[in-house]
Amino acid sequence: MDYLASAGVLIALYVMLAASYNLIIGYGGLNTIAHPIFFAIGAYTASLLGINTGWPAVICILAGIGVAVVASVALAITTLRISGDYLLIASLGFQLGLLQAVNNVEFTGGPSGLSNIPLTLAGPYRSWLYLLICTLLAAVVVWLVWRSMVGPFGRAVRAMRDDELACAALGRGLFAMKVVIFAFGCGVAGLAGGLYAYYFQYISPEQFNVAQSATILTMVVLGGIGTIWGPVVGAFVLVALPQAITFLQLPSSLVGPLQGLIFTSLVIVFLFLRPYGLVGKRMAGAAH
Amino acid sequence: MTDPVILLQILWTGIAMSSYFVLFTVAFALTLKVEKLWNFAQAGLMGIAFYTMFYLLNAAHWPVWLGVAAAIVMTSAVTVAVEIWAIAVLRKRHSSGLIFFIFTLIFSQFVAFLLTLMFGTEPETIFPSVMSPVRIVGGIAVSDWDLSAVGITLAMLIGLYLLIRYTRDGQFMLAVSDNEKLAEIYGISARRAYILSGIVSALMICAGIWLYGTRAGVTPDVPIGLILTAVIATLIGGLGRVFSAAIAAVGLALLQSFSILFISSKWQTLLLYGVLFFALLLFPRGIPAWRVKRIRPSPQTVAAAAAPQGGS
Repeated sequence: MDYLASAGVLIALYVMLAASYNLIIGYGGLNTIAHPIFFAIGAYTASLLGINTGWPAVICILAGIGVAVVASVALAITTLRISGDYLLIASLGFQLGLLQAVNNVEFTGGPSGLSNIPLTLAGPYRSWLYLLICTLLAAVVVWLVWRSMVGPFGRAVRAMRDDELACAALGRGLFAMKVVIFAFGCGVAGLAGGLYAYYFQYISPEQFNVAQSATILTMVVLGGIGTIWGPVVGAFVLVALPQAITFLQLPSSLVGPLQGLIFTSLVIVFLFLRPYGLVGKRMAGAAH
Repeated sequence: MTDPVILLQILWTGIAMSSYFVLFTVAFALTLKVEKLWNFAQAGLMGIAFYTMFYLLNAAHWPVWLGVAAAIVMTSAVTVAVEIWAIAVLRKRHSSGLIFFIFTLIFSQFVAFLLTLMFGTEPETIFPSVMSPVRIVGGIAVSDWDLSAVGITLAMLIGLYLLIRYTRDGQFMLAVSDNEKLAEIYGISARRAYILSGIVSALMICAGIWLYGTRAGVTPDVPIGLILTAVIATLIGGLGRVFSAAIAAVGLALLQSFSILFISSKWQTLLLYGVLFFALLLFPRGIPAWRVKRIRPSPQTVAAAAAPQGGS
């Protein structure tokens, strides 16, 4: 049963990541794929503070959110003047460069990562308590994204995505809007990172690499980019279905690659059969 | 001051090591130029090419030439299949750049997972030994691998130049890269140009991974790292400028080689990503000196164009 709770925690964390990433890429139209690095920043900041200071987990996770927000604003200020494919590649360079640094410095544990993250919420119901907390937080994140996108600010953000020039002509501060949604989305990734570190008690640079970028991006696009429920459904399907393989009692060396194969096959199949996403609606004349 | 012989040795080794970077970069830049596609699926093609050669030469004990030929056929066939059954479908749907990005990246991951299942995660080389005979030329160690790497790379680049410059299909590729719609109006098949550029890229990839795999160990994850270097060189070289991208790849390899004089080797990759990040911020359209210069019309031409048209 603990296994189911762990899978649930993972789904809730990915819902947070996908929903916040959807805000950036789906609603804001900012083609960045560096989301996992803010997930990593949240995880590493919370873990390092937890290990070295002994502060309460809540404080460490909040600090992780803060550092992720600061890093995202720094990246936004330098890179958001470029757009499209260039932003995509620049964000990839930022992510891989920072991961390389994490890999090479000693205090982050290098390639081995950090494994002595303090235990929180000990007891037989630890996993279920975490599941409750993560599910509630995921629901709050989805609600916040929905709330912010149905009001005037959301309309302005969507207008910016659809036509930057026209939006600017109406007197909207595009750069400030971009920085705000980018910082919010990355802050949520930092929160997910902190929760991930405290629940699984082990993090390493490998967990935040390009494959993670592809995973989160795929959840958003296959669920339905620019929709509220799309990332939720995408996260659920793409985390839950590959997990089913673990019930087949296969050797551990086969489970990882098989899960990967199932995941990538699902993505390829959905990409061609449901190009507008699982909950997205086909729009006449729209490109998918 | 460092000994000039050491500097020359680093220079030579850097040039030799740049060979496979150049080939991967040219493959990536050519696809980007002709198809307007950031084709991360080429990482998957690298994996297919390497493991085909590895299996046929080590397990099936085929002759080297036959194993290499089979790898070229296999890689080209997968390239054409991906073009026809995936890329062309997405293109027909007018899919966004993001969808192409996801598909090509996921395809590479799919191939990597498949290869992991089949061959495991242990580093493999094409031949059991990566040692190569070395001779000393003017105090510099030059290995047979270095010479073959430089030779193969130069031959491939000259071949590509001749293809583009002197054959109809090469010219058609250029026409499609300039303006696909206009080229089709003139009867040029864009699809044929896409497939040809894909096959040429597959050849470059096979040559590049042959050189890499005879020098260093390959795991299914390695190609993703290699393709990123190609992306960086393509961006620095300037989009649409295949041979400038090749020069940029040599420059990046030399930068990495000479960096050992100043920084630890473990930071060399970070240097590469740093270059990518700042190159994009400072020169998002490539190094200014390498960009295509616009030809300004002469004053007489402008005056003639502006003059009222007389006669019937």
